[in-house]
Amino acid sequence: MAELQLDNITKTFDDGGDEIVAVDDVSIDIQDGEFLVLVGPSGCGKSTTLRTIAGLETITDGAIRLGGEVINDKRPQDRDTAMVFQSYALYPHMTVRENMSFGLEESTDLPDDEIRERVTDTAEMMGIAELLDRKPGELSGGQQQRVALGRAIVRNPAAFLMDEPLANLDAKLRAQMRTELQRLQENLDVTTVYVTHDQTEAMTMGDRIAILDDGELQQVGTPLECYHEPSNLFVAGFIGEPSMNTFEAHTDGDRLVAERFEYALSERHEDAIDGDNVVFGIRPEDVEVGSDPDDSHTYEVVVDVVEPKGDENYVHMAFDADRENPETFTATIGGLRRVEAGDTVVVRFPPEAVHLFDGDTGEAVLNRSLDTVEDVEPLL
Amino acid sequence: MATQQSDSSFAWNRIALYATLGLLVAFYLSPLESAIMTAFKTQTGFFETSPLVPPTPSTFTLDAWGQAFNRLQGGLVNSLLFTIPATLLSATLGSLVAYGLTNTNWRGQAFVLVLLIAGIFIPYQSVLVPLSRFWSVVDPATIFSWLPPVANRSGLVALAVTHTAYGVPITTLLFRAHYKSLDSSMLEAARLDGASIAKIYRRIILPLSIPMFAVTLIYQFTNIWNDLLFALVLIQQPSNDVVTISLTALQGSMVSQYNLQMAGAFITALPTLLVYILFGEQFAEGVAGGGA
Repeated sequence: MAELQLDNITKTFDDGGDEIVAVDDVSIDIQDGEFLVLVGPSGCGKSTTLRTIAGLETITDGAIRLGGEVINDKRPQDRDTAMVFQSYALYPHMTVRENMSFGLEESTDLPDDEIRERVTDTAEMMGIAELLDRKPGELSGGQQQRVALGRAIVRNPAAFLMDEPLANLDAKLRAQMRTELQRLQENLDVTTVYVTHDQTEAMTMGDRIAILDDGELQQVGTPLECYHEPSNLFVAGFIGEPSMNTFEAHTDGDRLVAERFEYALSERHEDAIDGDNVVFGIRPEDVEVGSDPDDSHTYEVVVDVVEPKGDENYVHMAFDADRENPETFTATIGGLRRVEAGDTVVVRFPPEAVHLFDGDTGEAVLNRSLDTVEDVEPLL
Repeated sequence: MATQQSDSSFAWNRIALYATLGLLVAFYLSPLESAIMTAFKTQTGFFETSPLVPPTPSTFTLDAWGQAFNRLQGGLVNSLLFTIPATLLSATLGSLVAYGLTNTNWRGQAFVLVLLIAGIFIPYQSVLVPLSRFWSVVDPATIFSWLPPVANRSGLVALAVTHTAYGVPITTLLFRAHYKSLDSSMLEAARLDGASIAKIYRRIILPLSIPMFAVTLIYQFTNIWNDLLFALVLIQQPSNDVVTISLTALQGSMVSQYNLQMAGAFITALPTLLVYILFGEQFAEGVAGGGA
């Protein structure tokens, strides 16, 4: 158990004379026992970052410290990390027990009976004790996944590295494993770096999330910080499903003029804005549908498409529904509220929920106010 | 009506198909049939009956088999003596080279691979002269003079080494294709588990190569066993004659004893058949790319 520090790590690949920067000056401090999720679109460098920590890639610049010790130049086998791969990477010719023993046999001097005992204990904890004599080919995807996790856990490493370990599971099992993995990590209290492209996994599992795009670190924060206080337009668009609605606009006195609507700015907004070009953002759940048309900040829009999800409906709406390809934005409303495509409705963009971004740099200049956050009172 | 018609035309198609297949079977098996029948006939029987017809009690004999076996047994032993080491060595070396060319990273890999691939296409005939020159300079009889049993078999040593060298390119290529299809993250997992390159080979790669070993063993054994050209050039002492040389000697100089030649051919082919039967299952798995 140890804290893991990435100090300005940079990784470049040489592609026929062209230098490709896969990871660009990324610094993250991961606390002892913390669950950090590295998230970003494919090709953003998240897997490369993870592989540099494991030692499967060398870094071009920077330093990686595990428990205060620089490990850049150590060989993978000397780094005391264990990795879980997307493909599980089990040894197909070995039984589950042999798969789990392999690392202990190769990296420690433990006697055989000690190894046996540790493997059995871990297998029991993972609920795979009855599978120990089977081979990976005879196991279901979910079982293989548990074996892969068990193989990492049994080595009791200083850090777990997980590369999209749930990506090959079906949706139901994935949701279940998500909770289980989180509980497991909490109990083991081992520093974990978890790579995923799935923002839902990032939001639900991580103590903190690090969002990468194009090799650059965009933001590191708790899931709710990243959701409610995105540091820039990329994070705002990436975190949250459906994505935040954004509209390009410019200021005109105390008004914000977008292509299809105008928005009266409050003093709070005006203080934040610096420059003419502004991107106006609002989360789908903050769009109030069916408002009183006489309220401020209300607009008449036409419903384009409704996606019922059961518990809620995604309503895609347009200011300009008469156009061929209308530019739509999304609102989420309760599952029992009914709207249909073609309906004209009144929506309201409440001023406290508005995000504003610099139109040139994409940096957030104002995030939604969190004054209305309520705590649920515990019963006891 | 319409369905009946198509039924009957379907039946005719089947009949035509099976008739053609039957003819093809007869066509391909008739040489084998005539060879077996001939091997069991006396010389008179061979001249008086059609080769395809089984021997009658008066023309039946096992003499040809006994005689062929007596004249070939020395060659069979000599052939096994160089074929088995050459087969095992070329398969093992091919596997090691392929591992070095796929799962490790070093400069010049591509060049070595190109050299090996080029090696596959060198015809036997083109190396005969340099080969015999080479083995007259590097003479196993002199090198192993302190070990008479090996020194006496110097021609077989030369054959084993030559066939090993000739086999490494093709076995390397076969193993390389197999190793490239292995899950690279599995090997990375093994590295993180603390295994060294040698340990990864022994504990992961080697057990997963068994079907490919079956393929290369069968392929190399058949090739090396059946070779006559190198043997003619490299074997000087009659005591070292390999089975393919002994088989040609069965032809005789005056009278062709066909029953003897046929029986001899079967005895010579027997070891390759046995190898097919022994490794057939793994061979199928290896060819199908089963791997794991």
